Amino acid sequence: MSMKRPITRRDALWRFGGGLGGLAFAHLLGESGLLAGSLPRPRSGWNGGIHHPAKVRRIIQLFMNGGVSQPDTFDFKPELVRRHGEVFDPGGHVEAPTSAPGKLMKSPFAFRKHGECGRWVSDVFPQLATCVDEMAFLMAMVSRTNVHGPASYLMNTGFLTPGFPCMGAWASYGLGSLAENLPTFVVLPDPKGLPYNAKGNFTSGFLPMTHQGVILDAASPTPIPDLFPSRPPKSLTPEAEREGLSELGKMNRRHADTHPGDSRLEARISSYELAARMQLSAPDAVDLSRETNATRRLYGLDDPITEDYGRRCLLARRLLERGVRFVQVWSGAGGPKNNWDNHSDIHNELPAIARTVDGPTTALLRDLKARGLLDDTLVVWSTEFGRMPFTQGATGRDHNGGTFVSWMAGAGIKGGVSVGQSDPWAWQAAEGKTTGYDLHATILHLLGIDHQKLTFRHNGIDRRLTDVHGHVVEGVLS
Amino acid sequence: MSPRSLRSHWRVTILRMVLFSMLTFPALTQASDDVSGLAFFEAKIRPALIEHCDKCHSQRLERPKGGLRVDTRDGLLTGGESGPALVPGKPDESLIVRAIEHQQDVSAMPPKQTLPPRVIADIREWVARGAPDPRVAGKRPSTAFLGDRRDWWSLRPLNRPRIPNDQSGWSRTPIDSFIVAELRKNQLTPAPEADRRTLIRRLSLDLTGLPPTFEETSSFLADRRPDAYEQRVDRLLGSPHYGERWARHWMDAVHFAETHGHDQDRVREHAWPYRDYLVRSFNADTPYAKFVQEQVAADAFFPEEPGKVVALGFLSAGPWDESSLRDIREDSIDRQIGRYLDRDDVVTTVMSTFVSSTVHCARCHDHKFDPISQDDYYALQAVFAGVDRADREFDTDPEIFRRRNEWTARLNALRTHEPAAMASLDEEEMQRQSAVWETELSSKPAVWETLEPLRLTSSGGATLTLENDGSILSTGTRPAKETVTILAPCRLNGVTAIRLEVLSDDRLPSKGPGRNDNGNFHLTEFRVSASPRDQPESNRLIPIRIASADFEQQGWGIAAALDGNPKTAWGIFPEVGKSHQAIFQLESPITGGDKNLFTIVLEQSYPESHPIGRFRLSVTQSAGDIRVPTQPDNVARILSVPTQTRTREQRRELALHVHSTSLELQLRKLPPRQHVYAAASEFAPDGSHRPFGKPRPVHLLRRGDIHQPGKVAESGTLGCVAGLPSRFDLINPADEAARRAALALWITDRAQPLTWRSIVNRIWHHHFGRGIVDSPNDFGRMGSLPSHPDLLDWMAVEFRDGGGSLKQLHRLIVTSAVYRQSTRDDTQASAIDSDNRLLWRQNRRKLDAESVRDAILLVSGRLDRLMAGPSVRQFSLRPGVHVTPVVDYSAFDWDASGANRRSVYRFLFRTLPDPFMDALDAADASQLTAARTEAITPLQALALWNDPFVLRQCDHLASRIESQGADVANAVRYAFRLTLNREPADVELREMSNYVTRHGLANSVRILLNSTEFMFVD
Repeated sequence: MSMKRPITRRDALWRFGGGLGGLAFAHLLGESGLLAGSLPRPRSGWNGGIHHPAKVRRIIQLFMNGGVSQPDTFDFKPELVRRHGEVFDPGGHVEAPTSAPGKLMKSPFAFRKHGECGRWVSDVFPQLATCVDEMAFLMAMVSRTNVHGPASYLMNTGFLTPGFPCMGAWASYGLGSLAENLPTFVVLPDPKGLPYNAKGNFTSGFLPMTHQGVILDAASPTPIPDLFPSRPPKSLTPEAEREGLSELGKMNRRHADTHPGDSRLEARISSYELAARMQLSAPDAVDLSRETNATRRLYGLDDPITEDYGRRCLLARRLLERGVRFVQVWSGAGGPKNNWDNHSDIHNELPAIARTVDGPTTALLRDLKARGLLDDTLVVWSTEFGRMPFTQGATGRDHNGGTFVSWMAGAGIKGGVSVGQSDPWAWQAAEGKTTGYDLHATILHLLGIDHQKLTFRHNGIDRRLTDVHGHVVEGVLS
Repeated sequence: MSPRSLRSHWRVTILRMVLFSMLTFPALTQASDDVSGLAFFEAKIRPALIEHCDKCHSQRLERPKGGLRVDTRDGLLTGGESGPALVPGKPDESLIVRAIEHQQDVSAMPPKQTLPPRVIADIREWVARGAPDPRVAGKRPSTAFLGDRRDWWSLRPLNRPRIPNDQSGWSRTPIDSFIVAELRKNQLTPAPEADRRTLIRRLSLDLTGLPPTFEETSSFLADRRPDAYEQRVDRLLGSPHYGERWARHWMDAVHFAETHGHDQDRVREHAWPYRDYLVRSFNADTPYAKFVQEQVAADAFFPEEPGKVVALGFLSAGPWDESSLRDIREDSIDRQIGRYLDRDDVVTTVMSTFVSSTVHCARCHDHKFDPISQDDYYALQAVFAGVDRADREFDTDPEIFRRRNEWTARLNALRTHEPAAMASLDEEEMQRQSAVWETELSSKPAVWETLEPLRLTSSGGATLTLENDGSILSTGTRPAKETVTILAPCRLNGVTAIRLEVLSDDRLPSKGPGRNDNGNFHLTEFRVSASPRDQPESNRLIPIRIASADFEQQGWGIAAALDGNPKTAWGIFPEVGKSHQAIFQLESPITGGDKNLFTIVLEQSYPESHPIGRFRLSVTQSAGDIRVPTQPDNVARILSVPTQTRTREQRRELALHVHSTSLELQLRKLPPRQHVYAAASEFAPDGSHRPFGKPRPVHLLRRGDIHQPGKVAESGTLGCVAGLPSRFDLINPADEAARRAALALWITDRAQPLTWRSIVNRIWHHHFGRGIVDSPNDFGRMGSLPSHPDLLDWMAVEFRDGGGSLKQLHRLIVTSAVYRQSTRDDTQASAIDSDNRLLWRQNRRKLDAESVRDAILLVSGRLDRLMAGPSVRQFSLRPGVHVTPVVDYSAFDWDASGANRRSVYRFLFRTLPDPFMDALDAADASQLTAARTEAITPLQALALWNDPFVLRQCDHLASRIESQGADVANAVRYAFRLTLNREPADVELREMSNYVTRHGLANSVRILLNSTEFMFVD
């Protein structure tokens, strides 16, 4: 907490261009002595990459909370159709985390081949199925756990336990901001509720707090808390506000001038100036009424089923357009219902939740492409684990970390490919296994970051998003 | 390394290499006994390999670059795609040497840099010496490995260094002599002492977390006594606010919060007593060794002080994974993983907090840098293998505690039929009490006769089996809807009631008695009908007068089994894993005796999939109002035998019952115990989260992998501290509290070098914003080196030998000249030491989140100084979709009761923290926070400028000023005094008065509260 001289810290300040959170970061890095020789700065010749040229400048991650059932969506298994109703005996121990294993169950949904790549997709995603040639699938992802909390942490932070920074926080730490008047990392949770682990999934952990996800409540009249006074007293007129900030600036300027040699005092002055600029730009960024009716319809804002998720996808696009680097959109709240955690009845529960995302996700991909944003934007669709090939109760499926499916689309991605496949029952990954670490390593790679070199020393260890694991999945790269 | 160039090199040398490795083989075996060679390896080579090569060439990588692994001896000898990397004794033939020397035909390593010449020379020398290397895969580190790595500053014995001779005249304390000596060496001079207004603000905030009031500042400025400063120090250390301030620092270090964290972020209703314990302990200046011992093993060290167990809240302070440790199946692998990770958090907390050791780095392999083996790590897991995190019950009154223990012990002796206890039942007094009890019984209890079924049917296709004890077990298919029908002869004449026992059984999920995964069942309807044996078709329904059950699940009472409603039922959750019973009293006795056949129907159709797993039916002909609880069958049978004809065994059995139930009653009548969320070996079971009864076996997990369990770990600790044994020699190794006590003694041993250095450094950190070691949780090789090692040691010895008084230590530090320096800049000094590591001035510090909030409350006049008790929930809370509630901080009324208490009493949600406090860098309670990060961001500016809390306090502060009835200029003066403890300068007075006139006082104090001057302490 020693005072830093501007000259020694200039090197750190570039990272944020004075952007949100950046100033603090500069203090922090300089202070703990980690800056020297650790993180290089983004290079414009490398499209903003820090270790090699970047393909991706911004990311939108769609997280399906609860564990999407892979045998009922993307992982078609004729063997399950043949052996429907039989006892599952693959040889060896079979267990499910919350129930006694039931009989094998075929998917109740019809599967069809789609696109030039011939990707099997079930009828729960009729619109998304039209985009498969844009998407690269990880067909055999594995988790280390079958429990929501640890599994969600693993897919967001790379660790099973709480307290580690999530991918958005790492991206913010590594690359900084693209726009000084908006947050770097924004999270749009499902208004029905926060996911498992609540805000733990968006945390900056031991990284400076400034890298944590800023939660926007898309449906609220005040999406960013404290952007303006929530119940301003009458005396707080626009003049009082403007002149007040000006008085504060003068006072802080006099203080900084009489206490030389401490750039934090300058940073405080800038922080209020940036706050004022954010007050001007943020309301516009979140104002969906500025979109055309056609666009709003495209995202499903006229249909009560898709309205909410569609609104958040559209909001995500507006934020990306304005320089937010990382937006995470959640489908489904924590808990046992109204999400992808279909324990009791795949027939009814899965189509209900799938319908809410099918149209809006398709719209997002099309819209990003039409606006040219897909050239430097990556779309990631993921979940914390898959589900069992056998029943739980009558027609549900229990958690399964043995194999599940994620996909990516957009910048740097080879459309229509799949990596890996599961066994004949979609029970365990069989070949081309990938992990959350691999997904993270690949995403960082696309951002121009070597996942092994993006580190932060905490309590004796140089921590990484990928722990001591992770390989870039070359097969999905264009 | 480009594989191509290496391969060309390889072609030339392949034969020679093989030849050489064969030739040098005998030398290798010698090498492993080469003690000085191994020492050389540990000192020079291992660190170099780890630092420069490990990242690309390690066995933990699935695909190391070029296939080469350098982290085992075999890896180097076998080599990668380019062949062996090492030829012992032959540096010129060894690829590793040629690569780092950037020789021709070999790819330069590392690819884009040259190693320091010293490192290159060391590696060459090492290879020339035969490459002694103890790193045999799968083998424990040699003692040489430990021995050499032990030579590290923090592990060296603690000796009192000589205080440097200092003639500067500047020093006030020995601390200053150490500081000034280093300054001198670097051509630096200390800054002048800060002015008194600055000093008292710094002192007040540091020691109590509250700024001084204007009156306190004025009185200090006017106090001309020579020891005015020291007097002020003593006053502040004596203030109860001191304990609040330093408890909050401790709460950061141990990641205390009041919810579970993880996906089920459940509220811990009883976590706060640990916070109060901390406040009390700091205020009472508990000797540090005792403070440690209480938090690790208060139950073992202070059994006569039952209230002390609140200190064990330390061990449970961190997150707990309810899904993994309670909700999922107990027999699943995920449950096992959860247990190891849970203990990992406890071990990490204990060892980071007390000894600044990163032992958690040895979970998957031996520590890469410090002398900590994986064995040591699992030995520490074993220390905590007998406790879980749970609500722990405790007595505050030692006398009540003594009685409860005595009676419980007696009861347990009786329940387990201990011979001495059983013999005592024959004593006259016991028999007399038995007789009295019997005469007081209003009626003889019912005697039950088990029904023997003739036919059993399951409508849902379950397999029903008659067991030897007359009970019926349901196996096979678990029907969604089930109706069991039992046909049985009546046997007794005049049956008055039917009893249904539902029995727990290890074969059932969660031990039953139901077949649902959670052990529950639901009895939707109970019907009984009777027919003469020879006329089964004339079945008539028997009316039931009333039913009773020994336990009823909330909303699922026994009456539901008689109401004819298919959407109601009897259930027993969460009392699963135990047997229960229900008694159905008939309207009138059934005559006709064994000429009758009973048809009993147990409908189990709603909710679905909740059939009964094992049950038994019995009947009685006893008269009267028969309900549960009734006397146990054995007692009822004895009571039906005339007194004089009872055998000795029967008299004893009766006395056992009488005495046990009386003890149970006595115990129930004791005042209720308090609860604290703490480490506990005994606690009320919550589903399958229940006491294990003894320490759980902890296996050394190879690579940290649950699927690769190794040997069972014995309890112990680090082996790297000289003179202190690393494995505990316990009289009873199964006594889990003894394990914790042994660890606490190891931590607090006089000869322990880490503990005393660690705590002294923590305290220093909070007085200067940075520790002498600026990685307070890591005194290992990955941590920082001390800036003033002798000063650290001197203070550690002084602290240890002075009885471990923290207040003494504070006094020593804050009365020093180095602490009292001003923060003024000096460009020359800054050119030499820009970081102020040598403390040529005091550091200017930003107020932490709690101090900001408390300071605002203090100046607004709203600070509520009430101490202790349940935390204040400064949010609205409503049920969420599952366990984690919905928490809304913006909906809180800042004028509500308790709203203005100090921040340390705020309720702390782990995954849903207060955004306002977050914006001010409050600690994230999911992680141990030895030092907070410090940010200055636009979001922080917005929070301070617009948050409802701040705006509300602005109103209060404005009213406080207005109540003085002053004119504008005086109001401005008063506002400056209250917030900044000074008079406004002329320009400030002019500008602010102008602003007040135009926009009012509330808006203008908002400016003062947002000022840098208010937000920082000089």
